[in-house]
Amino acid sequence: MARARTARVLGRRGALGRGLMTVPAALIYIGLMVVPVGYAVYYSFTEYNGIPSQTPEWVGLKNYTRIFTDPTGDMHSSLWVTGIIAVVGAFAVNAIALGLALLLRRTTPFTAFARAVMFYPHVLSALIVGFLWQAILGPQGAVNNLLTGSGRSALPFLSDPGWALATMIAVIVWAQLGVQLVLYLAGLQAVPADLQEAATLDGAGRVQVFQHVTWPALAPTVTVTIVTSVLSLLKVYEVVLGLTNGGPGDATQTWAYEILAVSFANNKVGLACAQAMLLIVVAGILSFTIIALRRRAEEGAEALS
Amino acid sequence: MSLTASRSARSRTTLRNVAVAVLSLAMLVPLYIVVVNAFKPQQEILLSPLGFDPATATTQFLQDAWTNPNFPVVSGYAVTLFLVVACNVVAIGASIPTAYVIARTPTVLFRFLLMFFVAGMFIPAQIILVPAIFVLKALHLMGTLPGLVLFMSSTMIPFTLFIFTGYIRMLPRSLDEAAAIDGASQQRVLWRIVFPLMKPIVATAFILNALSAWNDFVSPQLILGPGSSFRTITTGVYAAVSSYTTNYEIVFPTLLLAVVPILLIFVVMQRHVMSGLSAGAVKG
Repeated sequence: MARARTARVLGRRGALGRGLMTVPAALIYIGLMVVPVGYAVYYSFTEYNGIPSQTPEWVGLKNYTRIFTDPTGDMHSSLWVTGIIAVVGAFAVNAIALGLALLLRRTTPFTAFARAVMFYPHVLSALIVGFLWQAILGPQGAVNNLLTGSGRSALPFLSDPGWALATMIAVIVWAQLGVQLVLYLAGLQAVPADLQEAATLDGAGRVQVFQHVTWPALAPTVTVTIVTSVLSLLKVYEVVLGLTNGGPGDATQTWAYEILAVSFANNKVGLACAQAMLLIVVAGILSFTIIALRRRAEEGAEALS
Repeated sequence: MSLTASRSARSRTTLRNVAVAVLSLAMLVPLYIVVVNAFKPQQEILLSPLGFDPATATTQFLQDAWTNPNFPVVSGYAVTLFLVVACNVVAIGASIPTAYVIARTPTVLFRFLLMFFVAGMFIPAQIILVPAIFVLKALHLMGTLPGLVLFMSSTMIPFTLFIFTGYIRMLPRSLDEAAAIDGASQQRVLWRIVFPLMKPIVATAFILNALSAWNDFVSPQLILGPGSSFRTITTGVYAAVSSYTTNYEIVFPTLLLAVVPILLIFVVMQRHVMSGLSAGAVKG
């Protein structure tokens, strides 16, 4: 009865007022994210140098064909670099963060300190992280000066293509593992303690408890950590700018670097937008695929608790 | 039997503590390198990157970095702080009423509206910036602080709105219903009754948005432009360091000036930052 009356009262003030309350957020979001996606779709089918007095020239699928056939041979390497960073980086960051979370699981002053230490790189800008490690691992950086000073030869952390990519992934892992660590720690708290105890009492070893109790119960956390780490690794840009500026050659040019520092910087707005569309679509498809694939593991977690 | 078990448990704990201590030290080495080398001349940095000799230590290079015209430190901090506050006010202020309406109107239309906003979480901000620049140009907001604030806020709205909606859904409806029957308007119910209960989630959103605004480089660099009179900490560091990456007398003091305040804030707020992050992820 009361509920019906409220519904009437709310209903009368109703739709218009409710609609109006969504206007500010919708205006900003539509104006600066949705409309730009529309622009990106349109520009991606044009050749446009970004100068307001010029009109974009419709070229159909040309920009997309260019991305997929890569006639000048400079774009596919960025796709590879980004793919390697996303796969290797996501695996490394999650494995290390999970390991650390198991180490730092119990809350003591010591582990609280260690958690903060593992996390602090995340509060630094990725650009600054890049410059910082460039000063440490560059050809004349701290590590190489220590090596040559002690009579050994310098290591090509940033000057050899293969090394540079590996170094960059390591730096990204250093900067991002704290976030995933915090997520795993939160996930571990949700693991039912009585189940672990019961398993231990039944004579299960530590590995078995992890494999049969802890890991399945972590399933929802793992979904979140994989999706967030892959999404952030697909758009790596600032750390590249600080650490290697894409070099040596194009060994560490990521897709985001290709969009912003190559295509857009050279006034190829149409191509940059086609590349941006590709990244958005891939990021969307990957996220939904991971979430769909993980659903079964998560159902297992629900069955446990 | 139980004695050996407890002894092995104890040695395992010791082993674990040693491992954690070593890893923590390893994480801190880069920070140590920045701090000690900010006080040393180039030659000494090259000869002994880890050493610190109080006799030759000087604040000269820090002073130079402080007065470097490429990175106006004080105004850089002022602009960055302004962005943190302004973007949060816009993003949180715009998200609260929308989240409230979405959470309290269980119709298909509003569920669709939520999905429409949430889709924005999958769009990388720096990627959508290229076409957004043309929108800002059309609005004559390119190169201005309001344009930058609006763009950065728009990238924060999807996540902010999402966690707010989830949070308001957990608040009992009977609260608003009672107030509505007493004749309170919808705005009054929202700001006087619901909003005060949202403090924890607003704090979470503020911390996460503040971190992303503080560390954003691409948006201020491209929207304000490299020649802008406004520099943030990140665009200032880029202007000061990017052409001099091997001049360590510039690199280390500049980086030190850029990281010390945020690290101090982190030390004071670390519990809130880290719990905010996991709260955000659990809701998200």
